[in-house]
Amino acid sequence: MSEKAPFHSRKTYRPGLVFRPQAQENIQRGLNTLVSAIRPTLGPTARTVAVTSLIENKDTPEVLDDGGIIARRVIELHRRDADVGAMLARALICRQNERMGDGAATAAVLLAAIYNGGLHYLASGGDAMRLRHHLERALEKSLAALDQQTYTVAGKHNLAQVAQSICHDAELAKLLGEIFDIIGAYGRLDIRKDHSRILRREYVEGMAWDSGLFSRDMIVNRAQLQTVYEEPTFVLADFKVNDPRHIMPMLEIAVDQKIEKLILVAGDLSAEAMAGLMMANGKLKHFQVMAVRGPGGNADERAAAFQDIAIATGAKTLVGAAGDSLKDVTYGHFGRARRGWASTHNFGIIGGKGDPRKLRQHIGRLQSWLEASDDPSVREALQKRIGRLMGGSATLWIGGVSEIEIDQVKTLAEKTASAMRAAVSDGVLPGGGMAYMNCRSVLESQSQSGADPDERAAHRILFDALAEPARAIYENAGYEPGEVIAKLLHADNGSGFDVLSGAITDGAALVDSAAVMKAALRNAVLTAGMMLTIDVIAHHQSPEIARQPD
Amino acid sequence: MRAEAISLEFTGSDETAYALAASPGFAKDGLCFAATSLGLYRSTDGGETWELLRVTEEPLQQMAVTAVALSPASAQDRTLFAAVKGGILRSSDGGDTWFAAKFPAPPPLFTALAISPDFARDGLMLAGTMEDGIFSSTDRGRNWQPWNFGLFDLAVLCLAASPHLGEDETIFAGTDTGLYRSTNGGRAWRECGFPSQFAPVLSLAYAAGKDEMLLLAGTEDNGLFISGDDGASWERTAPDALPGSVNQLQVLCQPDGGGEIYALSDDGVLRSRDAGQNWDTLVEAAVPPTAILIPDCGGKAMFLALTGKGIVKYEV
Repeated sequence: MSEKAPFHSRKTYRPGLVFRPQAQENIQRGLNTLVSAIRPTLGPTARTVAVTSLIENKDTPEVLDDGGIIARRVIELHRRDADVGAMLARALICRQNERMGDGAATAAVLLAAIYNGGLHYLASGGDAMRLRHHLERALEKSLAALDQQTYTVAGKHNLAQVAQSICHDAELAKLLGEIFDIIGAYGRLDIRKDHSRILRREYVEGMAWDSGLFSRDMIVNRAQLQTVYEEPTFVLADFKVNDPRHIMPMLEIAVDQKIEKLILVAGDLSAEAMAGLMMANGKLKHFQVMAVRGPGGNADERAAAFQDIAIATGAKTLVGAAGDSLKDVTYGHFGRARRGWASTHNFGIIGGKGDPRKLRQHIGRLQSWLEASDDPSVREALQKRIGRLMGGSATLWIGGVSEIEIDQVKTLAEKTASAMRAAVSDGVLPGGGMAYMNCRSVLESQSQSGADPDERAAHRILFDALAEPARAIYENAGYEPGEVIAKLLHADNGSGFDVLSGAITDGAALVDSAAVMKAALRNAVLTAGMMLTIDVIAHHQSPEIARQPD
Repeated sequence: MRAEAISLEFTGSDETAYALAASPGFAKDGLCFAATSLGLYRSTDGGETWELLRVTEEPLQQMAVTAVALSPASAQDRTLFAAVKGGILRSSDGGDTWFAAKFPAPPPLFTALAISPDFARDGLMLAGTMEDGIFSSTDRGRNWQPWNFGLFDLAVLCLAASPHLGEDETIFAGTDTGLYRSTNGGRAWRECGFPSQFAPVLSLAYAAGKDEMLLLAGTEDNGLFISGDDGASWERTAPDALPGSVNQLQVLCQPDGGGEIYALSDDGVLRSRDAGQNWDTLVEAAVPPTAILIPDCGGKAMFLALTGKGIVKYEV
């Protein structure tokens, strides 16, 4: 099964076709090669994989214990038929890792078990398409069984336990448990490198955007390099304000309404208009104004940010595309907050005085878009918007004794945080592979008494495969899987095996994110079903190096 | 019920009491406080006589006190808190001397104070404000920080801490537009199942039901709501007896294990002895009452604050 030289320099290939059974055997070889590299990383006693660097003159190999990253590093296998199997598996593993942040090794182990079992059945004359169909039906039963085991988790101690089962780092788990207890599934969490040697967390009140003052001359507090206004009003204009005369109506309204602090958020501001505002700051008694650049790197992001600020403050945005101009501003366009602050790079709002009902509806809309979206960049943008509007954010500062350690812990924290979001949002289920083991009972009868041989085979294949993640965890920890499974069969219902203590424990002590486990199983079954239907491999000349999976 | 003479007579026609509070050991020490628009009054003889307390700490001069709360162990630690505009005052000697905790500008206007039942151990208290959400202190009121994560409505009108806060860490906050629940001691808030069309929520109280703890929520215009599942679902109760505002709720546990719930409406005071299902009118008031206090003395006394008039003491 193993490849002696899994990585190699790029070569030129001749085109060609490879038919079954050779095609299937080679796909299986490639799949098993990649999964063999990832399988040791499953479980709390994960072993590591050393990956040599692709960069010349960099001799130190990377030592990795994350299945998702290992799969990403394997960009090509030596044999091109085997490479097809490895790259199909790689796409699944990377997708699982990117989308869920965890479960990559689990998905890999499941995929290999299902494919190997399926291929064995096909060799004895089974029908691939029918087998795939029945595998998908058995998947639905298994997912329903996972649903039945799923329960919600709340409270910092329980959440820390979930984090611990993902990252196996007690200190990090404790902090993430507290953070997710506060921010929930949608809150904003920034994970940043720190210069200290410890992990620490910080909570920031209010909403903040990565966009700041147009001019340093508007900074009032020179020590802290920021300006803070109490009880400010807001005017939002999503276009460039060119003409300094256009700011006059806004200033007149401010004076008439006895407004003392004004924050203009604009798409852009000409030097002349800025000079006009600076003059107002100097000339008008009891009045101060600052101008902030509208957040967002492109038109869509900017429109979204203006919408969020408008809802938070109760302001009405002047929209350039609709023909609005700053000279058209009325008092009805003004929004308010308890405090507003800005530096040259950021600005924020604390205690926006928009309608709380509208804010709640707006967040609900964003949440439904988030749940409906599959695009990672769209999801990330929506996540940021929701987190910001929730009224606060958390920052986890990662310190350590070396840059390498900080980078490793930061990567681990990001991966754990991603899986924690899913756990908070969709619940948890028994960990250590037990949730899959518990699903086997719903497949058992059909695997023996199903009318159709393909149906029986599909149920049996999945029945066997669902034990593989637990077997891999026990193996990686140095236990004999058969012995452990036999012990569990005689233990109380709901028990699990803690590989760290070597004892049968209450199942509640070991948990996994339900969303991660369901996604791993779904991805593995669907990918294996698709791979089992491949009869022929067609090679082009000089195939492209594997790209990042979709 | 018999009304005694006016216990505390207000000097101005617009003077009003925002809140009343009594020591848990009222039956023995007769200590009670009245937070009024003129300042904080203290009585040490069960409401017979009152003295206006002086707050000398700069810059918190004599000013309106909008909320007052006593430590659950005040008989021992003599600690109480009074909220004034922009700050919360703390006294550790029953109100003789005060220390001010300051807050970031603009000065918050406090509407409610809630103290952990396990205050001696956790030192936790929360303060609701009109525009700044909720501030929390975990060091017995010395330092405060805003805890508003998930709280979309920063106009907090009332707070209620679970009687089992040490275990369940549950606190409710009634706001202008809904009801929020925290299950982590106030660090983060989530909207609970209260029907938001019936907000604002003016008053909250925990009461013992048959098998579970009940949470009661009094609204500004829509009467009283009860939840038996920790705020997940709500049912309106006694719409005939309480058709409109329920400004304050107070629960009094009887020595025999039973409980009485008192509700302050715009028209007077009502009492329920069956977990909020049926209500008797105890006092009908021509002038809208602003605060009620039933000290823990076996239900023998009741104080009712009336705007522009004073605090009337009743013998139950």
